[in-house]
This record gives sequence, C-alpha cells and structure tokens, in this order.
Amino acid sequence: MADIVVADHLTRTFRRPERTGGLRGALRHLVRPQWRTVTAVEDVSFRIGAGESVAYIGPNGAGKSTTIKLLTGILVPSSGVARVCDIEPFRERQRNARNISVVFGQRTQLWWDIPVTDSLRLLGDIYAVPAATFRATLDNLVDVLDLGPLLDTPARQLSLGQRMRCDLAAALVHEPRVLFLDEPTIGLDVSVKARLREFIALMRATRELTVVLTSHDLGDIEELCPRLIMIDKARLVYDGSFAEVTDRFGWRKAVRVTVADDAMDSVAVARSALARMDPEVTGDGPVVEVSFDSRRFPPGEVIKELVLALPVSDLALVETSAEEIVRQLYEGTLALASEPEPEPEAVAGDEH
Amino acid sequence: MSTDLVRGWVGRTRPINKYVSLATISFRQAINYRAALFVNISLTFLWVIVVYHLWRAAYAGRPLFAGYTWEDMRTYVVLAYGINALVGWRIGSLMMSTIRTGEIAIDMVRPLDYCGSQLARSAGYSVVEGMLGMALTLVVGILFLGIRPPHSAGEAALFILSLLLGFLIKSLLVFCISLIMFWTTNGFGVMLAQEAVIQVLSGALVPIALMPEALRVVASVLPMRGIVATPVNIYLGHSSGTDAALQLGLQALWVVVLAVLASLAWRRAFRRVEIQGG
Repeated sequence: MADIVVADHLTRTFRRPERTGGLRGALRHLVRPQWRTVTAVEDVSFRIGAGESVAYIGPNGAGKSTTIKLLTGILVPSSGVARVCDIEPFRERQRNARNISVVFGQRTQLWWDIPVTDSLRLLGDIYAVPAATFRATLDNLVDVLDLGPLLDTPARQLSLGQRMRCDLAAALVHEPRVLFLDEPTIGLDVSVKARLREFIALMRATRELTVVLTSHDLGDIEELCPRLIMIDKARLVYDGSFAEVTDRFGWRKAVRVTVADDAMDSVAVARSALARMDPEVTGDGPVVEVSFDSRRFPPGEVIKELVLALPVSDLALVETSAEEIVRQLYEGTLALASEPEPEPEAVAGDEH
Repeated sequence: MSTDLVRGWVGRTRPINKYVSLATISFRQAINYRAALFVNISLTFLWVIVVYHLWRAAYAGRPLFAGYTWEDMRTYVVLAYGINALVGWRIGSLMMSTIRTGEIAIDMVRPLDYCGSQLARSAGYSVVEGMLGMALTLVVGILFLGIRPPHSAGEAALFILSLLLGFLIKSLLVFCISLIMFWTTNGFGVMLAQEAVIQVLSGALVPIALMPEALRVVASVLPMRGIVATPVNIYLGHSSGTDAALQLGLQALWVVVLAVLASLAWRRAFRRVEIQGG
C-alpha cells in the first residue's frame, strides 16, 4: 500500500500580536508592537496509505485545522515537509487541488444564490471534468445521496443536512483521491449523521478513497476510521489503531454482579475476598460493582473469586468505552507518557 | 432524476474554461441583487447632477478650462461617473469578506489561480453592475444633460478598448492593494484609502489637466489615469491618432506591469497567509 499522505516533521508557527486589553493596550501596540510566536503544529510526522481512513483528533486548538491546511496547500510549513500524492501541496497548490477535496462542516462550497446544479456544473468546469464522466459521476452521486429534489434549489434555502449532502456531492465530482473532512457532521441530527457516515463508508469502499477526518464526534470516528492520529498542544501524541486505544487504555474494567441475598453486607465481603487485587468496590442495593486493573488480573480470576464469595444471580463485565477514554485523553487525566507497558512503535513524537 | 441534471449539460461535450465559468456564475449571482443595484445606481447618480451643476456655474464666466469646452466637460463628468460604476469595487469587497471570515480557504483548495479567479469574479459582477450603470448614464446623459455622442464608430471602438484596459488596470490595482488585508485582516481602512486615492488620481473627480502642477505630473505617470482619464479623453477626441495609440499602449504596458506585480505580491502574501477560523 503506497503512502498517499505524508507529514514529515511538519512544523508551523504563527506570529501573534501581544496586546494588553483596552485603549491603552491598543495604543501601545500601535507604537511598539510586541509579537509572540505561537507554534500551531510542531514536529508532526505520519504516513497514510492509499485507501486508508484516518481520524485526526485532538482538543480544540490542538493544531488539527492547521495540519489540514498544510496538507491542502493553503498554508506554507515553517519547516518539515508535507506530501500528498507525491506532491508538496503548497509548492504545487493547483495540481494538489485536483487530487484532493475538502469538506468543511462549517462552511459551504456551494454558491449561495445559485441552484445546486449550477454550482456542481461550475465545479465540473473548474476541475475540467469531461462531460461524459461528469454526468456519470453526478448521476451516481445524485442517486446515492438522493439529491434529485434539491438540485434546483439555491444553496441558501437548504437545511443544514441537505446542504451537507450537496457539499459532499460537490466534493466528489472531480473524483478526488484524498478526501479531507473537517468536522462534517457538526450540528447534524442523528439520522442525517448516520446517512452521511454510511455514504462516506460506501465511497471509501467503491472508489478507494483515502479519508482524513477531523471530528469531535466519536461516533464518526468509531464507524469510519480504524486508525487514530491524535495531536495535543501542537504535537502528535498517538498514532495507532482505534482498537488499540481501547486495549491500551481500556484496562480499567469492572465486574458488576447482582447478589441474590440482599441481607448480607456484600460490599465488605467482596472487598475482603479480593483484597490482594486492590479493587474499587461500590455497592447499590443488591448490585455490587468491582473495578480493577485488567492488566494485572484477568477478568476471569476476578469473576471466579466473586462467584465463590457471593451468591451471584447475575453478572456483567463492563469495559471502559472509547468515548470515555478519549475524553480522559483530552482532559489529560490519562497520561500517554506514563503508560506502564509502552509499546515503542505506537507512541510517535517525543515527549520531552 | 438524472434528466434534471443532464438538462444543464445538453449540447455540452466538454467543460468550458474555468475562469469563464466562474465569471458566468458571478454574473448570475450579481443579477440576484438587481433591486439593490438600481437603488444604488440611482442614488449615486445624484452625485453627477451635483457636479454637473457646479461646472455649469463655473462655465458661466468662462468658455474654456484647460482646453475643455462646457460640452466636453459635462460629457467628461457624466462618463467619468459611468466608468467608475462600470469598473466596480467588487474585487476589494469580495476579497475583504473572504479573507476576514476565512472563506478564502474554499477558494484556495481548488485548482484556481487566486488573482485569476478574483478577476473573473470582478468581470462577472462588472458586466451586470457596469453595463446597467453605463447604460443608465448614457441614456440620461444624452437625453437630459446634453452630452455628446462619440464622433465616429472608430472612436467608439477605441473608447471601448481603452475601457477594457482600464478595467484590468483597476482590478489589478485593487487586487494588489487588497492583499494588504492579509497582514491587517481588517480591510475597511485599506478600502477607504484606496478608493480615495484611485478616485483622485484616475481623474474621476477632476480632469488631470486641471490639477495643480505637482499633482498633475504625478497623475500623468501613474497607472490610475488609465482607468478614467484615458478612455474619456479618447471618447472626447482629445487624444486621437498617434496620441491615442500611445495612450492605449501605455495602458497595456501598465496592465502587464501590474499583472507581474500582482503575482509577486500574491506570492509574498501567500507565504504569510493565515486562514482565519478553525
């Protein structure tokens, strides 16, 4: 699988005015401007193969959009190299543009006052798509996205969900090889979201489209992207499979049991029976939840001990959800660096 | 449903030039705002009436100002207004809004030359706004203000050629100046300043021949005169024959120089560009 999107020690810094508030601050800036260098992306490296689907995530302000702008050629890197389909995007922005497409969830690429059909036709002209190809591609898109009734409507009269469908069609008329999706489902309702994800998955499967998705919606990521690249404070902090994240950080597991005899103090019994495993035990009526480190003690062992100690009538194993893990990563309560059994391959970027 | 789609493509076997297509869409976009356009044109036309009457008072005591007769002058005033409307400020205001909101990202992820696409848009808008403005100017001017029609078809043709070159000069100038917004991100100051400077130096307010010595020299050299003064003087027959050819050549030269400048300036601005918003 050839690498189609490559970031090699990508760095981008900006100069921001250092301003104190108020009129005095504004005047001072006018006389003697003070600047401060902000690093939006620092030494980020990754490789994405053709046909892969990758979620590029991180908290707000982490540098996601800056990376996308570097990869689409609309920002010049301060150092390092970006390469998309073997082209350095900013050096050959127009050539790069033919290979890629970008969908911004918060901006439309349709012309506001013009019927959708005409926007699509203009895009066909801009990308010089041969008429026969254009017709075939669009017929297919209209069919799959059910755009028929929307084609004669000006973009400004579309609902957000309708507009997103049209924007996706607009992004695909020139049959790009790489599709960047910048928060595509923001503000959409659940059913529209589901439809869009389905569509993107279909396009990936049928066209060997490479998809790079930035999103805060874990549903998007979970459904569309087996691979996860995470950036925080301008640096790459994780690059690996989504399943691995859950494996690596989902080690806190819990066994929830319902006890048949509610007269006994089941919490205390469980605590003493499992004392060597140092679990966290909470109780709510007949339900007892035992949370433990699954790397040190296999769930089977915990369950065995519990069943021996308590009259268990029902039992469930509770895993930490991906959503919970990513939330903790964002909040910094789950430190990637202090991982007890680090897999050196998985942690890219240095942590000093 | 595919028939809906094919409708727009009947008879088309290949895509049309991307900039022509872009200009066409801008033209249609502009038509959407025709009501606002009429109000705008009518209101600014009041300005012509005011200037017209000022000059009429001035000519009451003298037959000639710097070689312009009263008939020349009223023609000058009305045409200068018409040309100002024809070569709109769209390029500046469009760039301002897209740079400020970060909408420019959408322009730039496409295989389009930035300057070329701004010119194409400006052309699309100018056809609507300018043609309407110009038509209204000529009709009202000839019917009510006694402006004189061009002497010959040849003169009219030269005038139109000069007008087109003037359009390019102004669009490229406004483009270059608007690039400053990449540094300041707020464009109102830039817009106001450039408008004032171009108005004066193009001869839109007062013919260049009437300006004080120092300003006149400056204005004769700079490219702005090619926007208003050159086409109007050709229309009036004040420059004809070799002089007209020279003036047109000068305009063409400025178009080339400005195009080179625009591409250099854009390269610099692009290196610095910060697309606003996430």
